[in-house]
Amino acid sequence: MITPGLILREILHRRTNFLLSVLAVTVAVALFISFFTAGVASQRETARLMLQMGYNLHIVPAGTDRSEFLLTGLTDKTMPQQYLEKLATPSAFSYNHLLGTLQRRISWQGFEVVLAGLAPEVCPPGQKQPPMVEPIPQGTAYVGYIIADRLKLKAGQIIEIGGRQLKIVRCLFEQGGVDDIRIQCHLKDAQEILNLPGQISEIQAVDCLCFVDTNDPVSILRKEVASILPDVEVVQAKPIAAARAKQRQMIQGVFAVIVPFVVIACGVWIVVLAVINVRDRYQEIGVMRALGYGSGKITALFLGKAVIVGLLGAFIGFLVGTYLALHFGPDIFKMTAKTVIKPQLSLLTWSLIFAPLFAAVSSFIPAMIAVAYDPAVALRLE
Amino acid sequence: MVRLEKVVKTYQTHRGVCKALNEVTLSIEKGQFVVICGPSGSGKTTLLMTIAAMLRPTSGIVSIEGHNLYAQTARARARFRAQNIGFVFQEFALVPYLNVVENILLAGSLAVPAPVFRQENAGTDPAYELIEKLGLTDRIYHKPSQLSAGEKQRTAIARALLNRPKIILADEPTGNLDPDNAAAVLGYMDEFHRQGGTVIVATHGPAAKDFADRVVYLRNGKIQSP
Repeated sequence: MITPGLILREILHRRTNFLLSVLAVTVAVALFISFFTAGVASQRETARLMLQMGYNLHIVPAGTDRSEFLLTGLTDKTMPQQYLEKLATPSAFSYNHLLGTLQRRISWQGFEVVLAGLAPEVCPPGQKQPPMVEPIPQGTAYVGYIIADRLKLKAGQIIEIGGRQLKIVRCLFEQGGVDDIRIQCHLKDAQEILNLPGQISEIQAVDCLCFVDTNDPVSILRKEVASILPDVEVVQAKPIAAARAKQRQMIQGVFAVIVPFVVIACGVWIVVLAVINVRDRYQEIGVMRALGYGSGKITALFLGKAVIVGLLGAFIGFLVGTYLALHFGPDIFKMTAKTVIKPQLSLLTWSLIFAPLFAAVSSFIPAMIAVAYDPAVALRLE
Repeated sequence: MVRLEKVVKTYQTHRGVCKALNEVTLSIEKGQFVVICGPSGSGKTTLLMTIAAMLRPTSGIVSIEGHNLYAQTARARARFRAQNIGFVFQEFALVPYLNVVENILLAGSLAVPAPVFRQENAGTDPAYELIEKLGLTDRIYHKPSQLSAGEKQRTAIARALLNRPKIILADEPTGNLDPDNAAAVLGYMDEFHRQGGTVIVATHGPAAKDFADRVVYLRNGKIQSP
């Protein structure tokens, strides 16, 4: 009788042992698949949530008064608008969104307001991403809540700033921040109003080092920016960056603790079942040895069974893990679930490779115990 | 054919060293029916396992047809065993998840060429010949749990005979059988012996002695005069 036939017969005979072994691999694979998918979704979700919090990098002209900038978010220095294009071209700078702005505090209609001219947002070449800030057409303006409230401004009205007329297309809801006293317009309009043609005061960016394994991303970013623009300074919005880093570390921590724990627990489970299986087959192994079956064939019987357990467990585990991720993911990751949580066939491939290997490794010691059985002892030596 | 020269087999137990075989010297000629008698614990099974190339003696030489068994590799001994020795055990030692024919063919896997059972070739198939001869025709697809003790032992005998071995080693083959089945089993062995095969049976029962050319008495691991 050939080995695969013996393995299948034994599996059918000891179904409970086999099913429990498959269950162990299934649990390990399913948890890994669901954790992996959830981990990716969690990172993406965090990145998206962080985008809502705003840009986390501020690139300002050299000589900017840091204290003033941190207090007001403004600088009185400017830099050429071409800097934006230099950063945007394919380079060594890791970014996701770039926004060039020219901002100044001005007095208007008896109020201190911030005039912000925004250039159209730039994304890395070849990466189409929805803009974080809606582009503002030339000749139009968004007006902050407090300004609109005090001056009773409404969408559709024309306002005049520095001799330039702008049509209000939107009066913003209350933000509870400097946006409430900001008038936003196209960069060109702001440059004309402020008489600073071709100048910007800041480049805001979202770095894309959130998936890089480093504890000090800002030094990397500073080095990257300095290689392109030597006369600027980089200020990182630490709370936002820290929140990202913490989230990243948390997910990595979850992976680092839970996944090995699950894998080891399932491995031990398989070892115990394999040892029980070997003990159940004590006499059978003795008979086979007596009939001339060598170590290779005995080993093949156990490892062959382990491979079948691994393959079946990998396939079922993939289905279960994917189902769990698809079923529960959208409730947890509302923004990214649709794009990130989907069946990943590459994970099935890896599962089909590693789960049988995992089961075989777990069964190796029991298989060696079986091989080491003395047939004379197994056949009840006097 | 089978020669043992000053064979000693000791075991380390928690009470000290136990000598299961104590300088056993024995010659068994080809075609003999030898019964090894002795009380439980006398070393009968140890002797059989040593002859079967499964239990390396502590000292001494065991040879079959001039081959020093324990001078060979484990793999060579396994092949030698598969091709030359058939086993029958008191507890039948059938594989529980294989049916009768599969249990019989299990012995054939290592013989060259490996026999393959085909029911349509039943007339010429060596496995089927044995099944028919041993009265198992209507049991071929039954599992051991569905067989009587006699049928189990007949299956074990068929398995032992499949490779046309030169020697049959039987350890208490009738120990779990009623007198009729015991007589039938010994009859099959006698038939093998009459066809020129060598049979060595370890037993403490008297029935096998009726078929024996020679009876060897073993006590405390030593061969004794009758």
